[in-house]
Amino acid sequence: MSGRRSRSKQSSVSSITDNQITDLVSKLQHLIPELRRRRFDKVSTSKVLQETCNYIRSLHREVEDLSDRLSQLLASTDGDSDQAAIIRSLLMQ
Amino acid sequence: MKRWTTKREHQIYSSKLFQALCRSRRTSSSTSAKELHQTADRVLAITAKGTTRWSRAILAAPLTAGTNMKKHKKAKVTVHTRLRKPVVNREKRKLPVVERKLRALRRLVPGCRKLSCNNLLEETSDYIAALEMQVRAMTAITEFLSRGEAQAPTDRLGSIGNM
Repeated sequence: MSGRRSRSKQSSVSSITDNQITDLVSKLQHLIPELRRRRFDKVSTSKVLQETCNYIRSLHREVEDLSDRLSQLLASTDGDSDQAAIIRSLLMQ
Repeated sequence: MKRWTTKREHQIYSSKLFQALCRSRRTSSSTSAKELHQTADRVLAITAKGTTRWSRAILAAPLTAGTNMKKHKKAKVTVHTRLRKPVVNREKRKLPVVERKLRALRRLVPGCRKLSCNNLLEETSDYIAALEMQVRAMTAITEFLSRGEAQAPTDRLGSIGNM
C-alpha cells in the first residue's frame, strides 16, 4: 500500500501517513477521560491531540499540588518513628 | 503500559517514593515542592526500568532547582513578511493544525522533541499511564501522612485497609 501521498504536504515531519496518525490517535483517545465518553463519536485528530496536551498538563498540575502538600506535611510531621509503619501500610494498599 | 495500573507497581512506587523523601529530608532541612516533584519524577522514571524514552530523559536531566519545563522556550523569530510570498505564508499557517498540536505534545513528554509521530504517541500513552499512577500514589502517601497527624501512632496501623 502506498501511503506516502501525504508526504508532499508535510514539510517538517515526513513519512507520516494519515492512516497511521488516525490509528494511533484512536488509541490515545481511549486513555483520555474527556474523550472516553465520546468513544463512538468521531473525534478529530486535532481535538484528541489538544485534549491529550490538556490532560498531561492537568496531570502535571496535580502532581505539583501534591508535591506542595507533601512537602508541607513532611516538614511538619516527625517521619522517622512512623516510617516503617507508613511503608508497611503503603505496601498493603 | 499495562503495568502502571497494577497494584504491585503502585505499591512499589509509593513505598520507593516515600523512602526517597524520608532520605532527602534527613540530608536537607526542608524539601521544597519543586525538589519533591523532581524526586517523584525520578522515582517514577526508575520504576519504568529504562524501557521508555521519557523515563530515560528524566533520569538524564540534570537536577536543577529552577523550572525544568521552561528551559527550551525559544524567542519568536519574526520574519519580514514583505520578503515572503503570500502563498508561502498562508501555507505555513494552514498546514500545522495537527502539526502544531504534535509539537505541543512533544514539549510535554520528556525527551520526545525529535521523535517520530508513531513513537511519540506510544511514549505519550505510557507517560500518561505513569503520570496517573504517580497521582494515585502521591495521593495515598499524602493521606497516610495527614491521617498520621490526626491520630496516635498506634492507631494508624489499625486504620489501614480503608482504601
